[in-house]
Amino acid sequence: MMDVGRHPRIKLLTYSELEEVSGYVGNFKVKVRKKARYVDENECNACAECFKICPVAVPDEFQQGFSSRKAIYMQLPQAVPSAYIINMEDCLGNNPIACGKCLEVCDKKCIDYDAQDQFIDLEVGAIIVATGMDVYDPTELDEYGYRSFENVITSMEFERLICAGGPMQGHFTRPTDQETPKTVGFIQCVGSRSTKRGNPYCSNICCMNTIKDTVLLKEHYPDIDIKVFYMDIRAFGKAFEDLFRRSKEAGVKYIRGLPGEVVEDPKTKGLKISVENTTTGEVEQHELDMLVLSVGVLPRQDGASIQKLLTLSRTADGFFMESHPKLKPVDAPTKGVYFAGCAEFPKDVKDSVTQAGAAAARAEIILNADRIKVEAITSVVDKDMCTACEICYRACPYKCIEVDRESKTPAQIIDAACAGCGTCGAECPFGAVTMRHFTDDQIMAQIEAILDEDNMEKAVVFACNWCSYGGADFAGVSRLQYPPNQRIIRTMCSGRVDEEFVLYAFKLGAPIVLVSGCHFADCHYIDANRWTQKRVEKLWDKLERMGVRPERLQLEWISAAEGQKFAKVMKEMEEMRKKVTKEEVEFTKNALKDLKFKKAKRLAKLAADKAKAEKAAV
Amino acid sequence: MAQEADFKCLRCGHQFKLPFDPKGPMVERACPKCLSNSVRRMKEEKKK
Repeated sequence: MMDVGRHPRIKLLTYSELEEVSGYVGNFKVKVRKKARYVDENECNACAECFKICPVAVPDEFQQGFSSRKAIYMQLPQAVPSAYIINMEDCLGNNPIACGKCLEVCDKKCIDYDAQDQFIDLEVGAIIVATGMDVYDPTELDEYGYRSFENVITSMEFERLICAGGPMQGHFTRPTDQETPKTVGFIQCVGSRSTKRGNPYCSNICCMNTIKDTVLLKEHYPDIDIKVFYMDIRAFGKAFEDLFRRSKEAGVKYIRGLPGEVVEDPKTKGLKISVENTTTGEVEQHELDMLVLSVGVLPRQDGASIQKLLTLSRTADGFFMESHPKLKPVDAPTKGVYFAGCAEFPKDVKDSVTQAGAAAARAEIILNADRIKVEAITSVVDKDMCTACEICYRACPYKCIEVDRESKTPAQIIDAACAGCGTCGAECPFGAVTMRHFTDDQIMAQIEAILDEDNMEKAVVFACNWCSYGGADFAGVSRLQYPPNQRIIRTMCSGRVDEEFVLYAFKLGAPIVLVSGCHFADCHYIDANRWTQKRVEKLWDKLERMGVRPERLQLEWISAAEGQKFAKVMKEMEEMRKKVTKEEVEFTKNALKDLKFKKAKRLAKLAADKAKAEKAAV
Repeated sequence: MAQEADFKCLRCGHQFKLPFDPKGPMVERACPKCLSNSVRRMKEEKKK
């Protein structure tokens, strides 16, 4: 961190927040709020005179509340820049009857109670999101007695207690009597791998963190009896198994089973726990002096605001979603944005550093390029057809469309920022937007080809490139059997499936149409598939109004890993297809015979307007 | 408490209730019986 702080080509903005982001890959404009520190970080030499004289004492967040700090303080000993900061919520200095003691003792006169937040505008080519993580608060798990029993602590608190720079100078003692404990227990998966309380995912780092802690504890205090209660130990990385073996060889007992209850002895403050040892099948009682809860990792609380600023997407867990889990594991769906560390998913230091290196390298590619190559699959606007209604802008998950309704400036796609979902094309009510390589005409032609012969024997399936089509692929490579009557039309995103495509398929005699895409949490185009659902819901109403059974239009979210689901859905489609009668199809064809496409309608309107204008001119 | 609405599965015909907030974000829905995503909200007139 010191190297970063001193690097001549790195501008480090600490204690700052992202306020606004606009632009696109290679041309981002970023506004940063640099919060007031009330101490000039360039002048402060961290002499600590202000710290010594400050009369305020509040719990030190960095030391997990085991010691106190002052209102003027350094957040952590190795903070960069090495300068003090005033927490104005704690400080008495801003009061009319001011304390002002720090101001008096500061020889360098670098304290300013009236300092204001500054706004810095930056132009950047790429953005790396490395916002880190939060940790799970186990208070809700009553059975473990965290906050009820003083000797029950979290793994984060343990780190401070055992640390040489911590409040106990590395002397590991019980909070209640400051004595070295004789028996210490660790409970794993606290707040992780639970669908009822906490989070369903594995936090990745807790097993190895506990193993490291037990080895550390045994090295310093060989006589301490250590017991680890676990579901299973996940020691999968390089040399991890060795460390696990070392821990067991040092005498740490690993008991497979999570305690159901922790009880405190009010006199000794010792802890009694009951646990079913699933290896022996017996319920065991253990007496401990201290208990450490190995807490899981959470996505950052401010993830939603970062998501909004950078038009990112998040998984159901709340972590940021990468562009592709295998092919683009550090890229965000928004071009020019990359992830490093736990912002993307819980990971250890080694993986975080690896990902950070990869993200920096990916960003470097953009920064070193005069021009960048983008995918050719982007939307394109016919300006003559566009009415500047802004519907495309509202639908675009990337906000990569420039359009102004008031000045009637037609929509313009920023190719560098367009990811090519095609939602704008599907939503445009005037047929003004289409997509390169997936044009309306191309898709219509596929529908025509499918239904040209034996239309009653076929079901038309629209499948998104990344998930549903991947699911079909997976079903194929898994040799799963399903009826061959389905005809798949691939689009990049289900958001591209225009209602006209569906209606056109029905007009040409399709008995069943299926629209399939990614699950909501997996959408590769941020939230484009929400528009698909909305559109299908509208279509169901529309079909019903026309007297067509809405059941003939089906919707399904299928991920690339769900080959089985794909095969199952295809079988269900076949069953449904068999139930559609020829009369029904003929009725639908008749009901849709006057279907006019929005593009044709718009062209007719333009021609009429032109004729009217010419007439008026004459 | 979250509002509930009536839904119908367009695959198996099963009718059920699910939390529904007309102003809230769109959520992925599935039929509790057949797990299909072809789940349609039944508006008042449709129920009649």
